[in-house]
Amino acid sequence: MTPSALFLQQVINGLSLGAMYSLLALGFTLVYGILELINFSHFNVFMVGSFIAMWVLQFFGLSGQQVILTGWPLLGVLGAALLITMLATGLLGVGIERFSLRPLRNVPGPVAMITTIGISYILFNVILLTVGAETKNFPNPLPMVKWHVGGAVVELREVLIWAISLVLMLLLQFFVQRSRLGKAMRATAQDPEAARMMGVEVDRVVITAFFLGSALAGAGGMFFGLYYNFTSFLIGYTAGLRAFTAAVLGGIGSVPGAMVGGVMIGLIESLSGQYIAVRWSDVIIFSILVLILVFRPAGLFGRLAPTKS
Amino acid sequence: MRISRRSANQIILASAAAMAGGLRIEAAAAAGKVIEIGIALPLTGADADSAHRILNGALLAIKQANDSGEVKGYTLKPLILDNATPTAGQYDPAQAATNARKMVSNPAVMAAVGPEMSGSGKAMAPILSEGDLATITPSSTSPDLTNPQFAAQFRPAGKAIYFRTVTTDAFQGPNMANFYAETLKAKSVYVLDDSGAYGVGLANAFIGQAKKKGIHVLGHDRLDPKAADYTTALTKIKALNADSIYYGGVMQAGAKLAKQAYDIVPKMIKGGGDGIYAPEMLTAVGFPAAEGWYATIASPHVTDNPKVQAWVKLYAATYHTQPDDYAITAYDAGLVIVDALRRIVAAGKPITRALVRDYIQSSKTPTLQGVVSFDANGDITNRVVSVFQVVKNPKYPLNDMLKQFKYVGVAPQT
Repeated sequence: MTPSALFLQQVINGLSLGAMYSLLALGFTLVYGILELINFSHFNVFMVGSFIAMWVLQFFGLSGQQVILTGWPLLGVLGAALLITMLATGLLGVGIERFSLRPLRNVPGPVAMITTIGISYILFNVILLTVGAETKNFPNPLPMVKWHVGGAVVELREVLIWAISLVLMLLLQFFVQRSRLGKAMRATAQDPEAARMMGVEVDRVVITAFFLGSALAGAGGMFFGLYYNFTSFLIGYTAGLRAFTAAVLGGIGSVPGAMVGGVMIGLIESLSGQYIAVRWSDVIIFSILVLILVFRPAGLFGRLAPTKS
Repeated sequence: MRISRRSANQIILASAAAMAGGLRIEAAAAAGKVIEIGIALPLTGADADSAHRILNGALLAIKQANDSGEVKGYTLKPLILDNATPTAGQYDPAQAATNARKMVSNPAVMAAVGPEMSGSGKAMAPILSEGDLATITPSSTSPDLTNPQFAAQFRPAGKAIYFRTVTTDAFQGPNMANFYAETLKAKSVYVLDDSGAYGVGLANAFIGQAKKKGIHVLGHDRLDPKAADYTTALTKIKALNADSIYYGGVMQAGAKLAKQAYDIVPKMIKGGGDGIYAPEMLTAVGFPAAEGWYATIASPHVTDNPKVQAWVKLYAATYHTQPDDYAITAYDAGLVIVDALRRIVAAGKPITRALVRDYIQSSKTPTLQGVVSFDANGDITNRVVSVFQVVKNPKYPLNDMLKQFKYVGVAPQT
């Protein structure tokens, strides 16, 4: 491998990581933008998503990497799994909001945030105690198709993850910018009080933010399984913390910021692993988090955080 | 009066008899005094499967001792403690230390079996030493634990309390390096570890001997066991054109490494220590990704030994799972403790922790792996490292440890 091919290969690896971090970061950003709440249960909604995707794929008769599909059956199975997973995790997010966060909506201080940590632990332990602690073999029906580009290898599953992630993110951006509900979301983010006075149903806006964020986390969880061929009850923390860093890097509350931040964290992870050492990756990523919080708390893309405070 | 020691053959015969006829030997003093034997293992989390095989081995030894009334006037009772926590997702040294305190503060506990992991052992050993409580580990292989150089740290009270029925990474790593050089003819290697006490020590021991054997060590990096993505490290290794990878660590990182290595460097020689001689290699990794991986254990391979077959059947019938070699070393650890207790009773002495330790120290106990005895530091005197390779055997279930890990032989000793 030439140095340039190696660089390209690590960029490809970083983009795949980045796509997952972006999907996850969007959930942090959507909820923070509207409620000014850091939702730590998001970590494990992602983890539950990967298990739901695993069960759906197993329901379709897939196990491990033994069954390979092509053409329409492949698209059908993956499409159905993606829709069911996103719907299920979206509803999980709505449930979390409705039953544990809404009653606390007007309680000041960090009560709601601590509640989300509690919910995160509940999800974590429910999966741990029901499905067990072992690493699970995630069913993957994708054929092993590889392309050689400039000495580096790109796999079908990577291209698929990039493409679907990009489409989902563009749809989200379109929704937030163009739809009526999206407009209501932006209005609530700017000034919830004024939005309510203008007739915006804030509860509906909050539920939409939780649904969309959690659905994207579910998609991220499914891509995680397809990319790594495994899942486990533990995957939420590392991925969640890095995605959170991505959201802060891009500017928490900013939708394009979360996308760009995710890709940047993915690239930083893979390139620092190559040119420094893998054992330093976390130090570098979380140093960035600290530096951003100290010197540029609004992140690269600045705001969308509520102006009320 | 000397009472002749129970021989391995008798154990096997007793096992076979108990299985065949349901023969129940009346306990001599069933209602006698109770001695507890602490068993601290990571029973939940990523290593739960192998931990339960070890637990069963120890329980079987205790059960047989009670059934035969071997320790006259006493009933043995296991005190089972979990060394894993949900936050760690695997063994947690802090929890292991807590468990060591629980055992030490319980006056009925006279000896212990465990822990499984060296990281736990390092946390437990100083506490056990202060409490004068001997433990016998069936699987923790970090040499530091028994190294006199670290005596101040791991046995502050002076005497050896950490005994092993396996040898250490001071042999497991270097002997595998010999195997890489002599048998696999590897010219270069990239070494990874999982940041744990066991993994780092094993990787360093491997590197030391690999360099002596003329293998070019291209690098040594550390994986975060909670991270998911090791493609960066593997891409780097691929670009370096390494002949081989050596991984020091357990399955939490190992399962992901094996899966991703199959995608990126499918043809490279890949191996590790006893941390990856684990059921997860077949369940979580599975075929085809697991195929070809080498793993070692720090004990002789006896589960295929025809003489041990009756015991293997008894174990499988009792616990509905196949034993692995560390189930045997755990059973052997139980036998050593029972033997020590029996000799104390036979000598007419009161059972105290100090005496149990001394009698374990002077053991010459016949076990399934042969006669077990210890050096002054607690290490087993027999230093055999066995090598296995994952080779798909479609005639047997694909998760059958005993059939899908093919025994390759004993790794060359230095």
